[in-house]
Amino acid sequence: MTANTLSSSRTVESAQEWRQLEMDALVGYILLGGVLLSMALIVAGLFWKYLQTGGVRLEYELAGMNLFQFVVSEIHLAALGQIRPRLLINMGIVVLMLTPFFRVLASVVYFLVVLKNWKYTTFTLFVLLVLTGSLFLR
Amino acid sequence: MAMPPFHLVLPVALLAGFVGAMSGMGGGIILIPALTLLGVDIKHAIAISILSVIATSSGSASAYVRDHITNLKVGMFLEMFTIVGALAGAAITLASSPRPLYIAFGGVLLGSWLALLLAGHKSWESAAPQDGITRWLELEGSYPDQALGRTVHYKARRAYLGAPLMFGAGIIAGLLGIGAGAVKVLIHDLVMGLPPKVSTTTSNLIIGVTALAGTSVYLAAGLIYPGLAAPVILGVVLGAFLGTRLLVRLSNQAVRSFFLLILAVLAIEMIVRGIRGA
Repeated sequence: MTANTLSSSRTVESAQEWRQLEMDALVGYILLGGVLLSMALIVAGLFWKYLQTGGVRLEYELAGMNLFQFVVSEIHLAALGQIRPRLLINMGIVVLMLTPFFRVLASVVYFLVVLKNWKYTTFTLFVLLVLTGSLFLR
Repeated sequence: MAMPPFHLVLPVALLAGFVGAMSGMGGGIILIPALTLLGVDIKHAIAISILSVIATSSGSASAYVRDHITNLKVGMFLEMFTIVGALAGAAITLASSPRPLYIAFGGVLLGSWLALLLAGHKSWESAAPQDGITRWLELEGSYPDQALGRTVHYKARRAYLGAPLMFGAGIIAGLLGIGAGAVKVLIHDLVMGLPPKVSTTTSNLIIGVTALAGTSVYLAAGLIYPGLAAPVILGVVLGAFLGTRLLVRLSNQAVRSFFLLILAVLAIEMIVRGIRGA
């Protein structure tokens, strides 16, 4: 095993292994991109609020609603030209919540299309369906 | 609910993320007691914490996944159980009065204290036989171990036991708004026999999806306040980033002793408040 160094072990031998590495990279970038985008939106919203009011205190609540109602109401406000600091902050929260959701969606595609693994396509679909259902909770 | 000011919440969240990352316990376990001390009602603290858990777990999972240490199959299989648990746990919290939540949180803090105290006294061995169910589930893999300088191959076992236990871990996560990473890692290590690196990184991946299930329940209940969410998310993520960077430089023993002390104090504090009525 000593001859089997890290660099040689990383040499990708089969096409399937190669695809797995690509999938790992994709999942990694979805997670990283989602968190960074969410943070950027929140920082931008807070900065805007600060420029407007000289403070960053936000005193509003989200009436109980599910993520999709939340997104629709935000888009509606944006379409009306009511782009305000709180819109950016709300979108930051939305992006954060959708980050693991898209990670699971990517996993479904990976198991279905790339690996053609029916067992894991079923498992992943179950997770996706439960998450989708929970995002529609009222 | 009285909302504490931004300039108080941000440093508290930063510290929680920092200590959580250094100890490997996650930010929520410090964040929730700290927020309640600032006057935030415990259910709102739980809701905001589980939202921030999505950020910290996704952020750190991204690096581990790209390093090819995370086992996606183990993650997907166990997520089926944790997300249902998280939905149930969050529903219980909504129905519960605050005092049992304080006591339950204190109990989990004590459990974490015990887990941390006992950690490091076990070593992983790969030679355990794999059972039929776990083989059918294809729960095995390999990862490049940089410390050993070679690829480590492993086979998981006892998935039939790990799955219901992970449902329980999901309930704790949804109920108390924490990642419950310590519980998940224990199940991966001791029950399913995953190598430590695989178990911590895969648990990270599971935590994000589990936290999303819990968050959706709290969002629907109107417990997510953006004015509180903004400084908490920023603080916790930044703190976790700094904590992970510092982890390599500080000795494990110093971090452990420090964290054992914090956990013990918070556990007693939460239980006392639960009993006396916060």
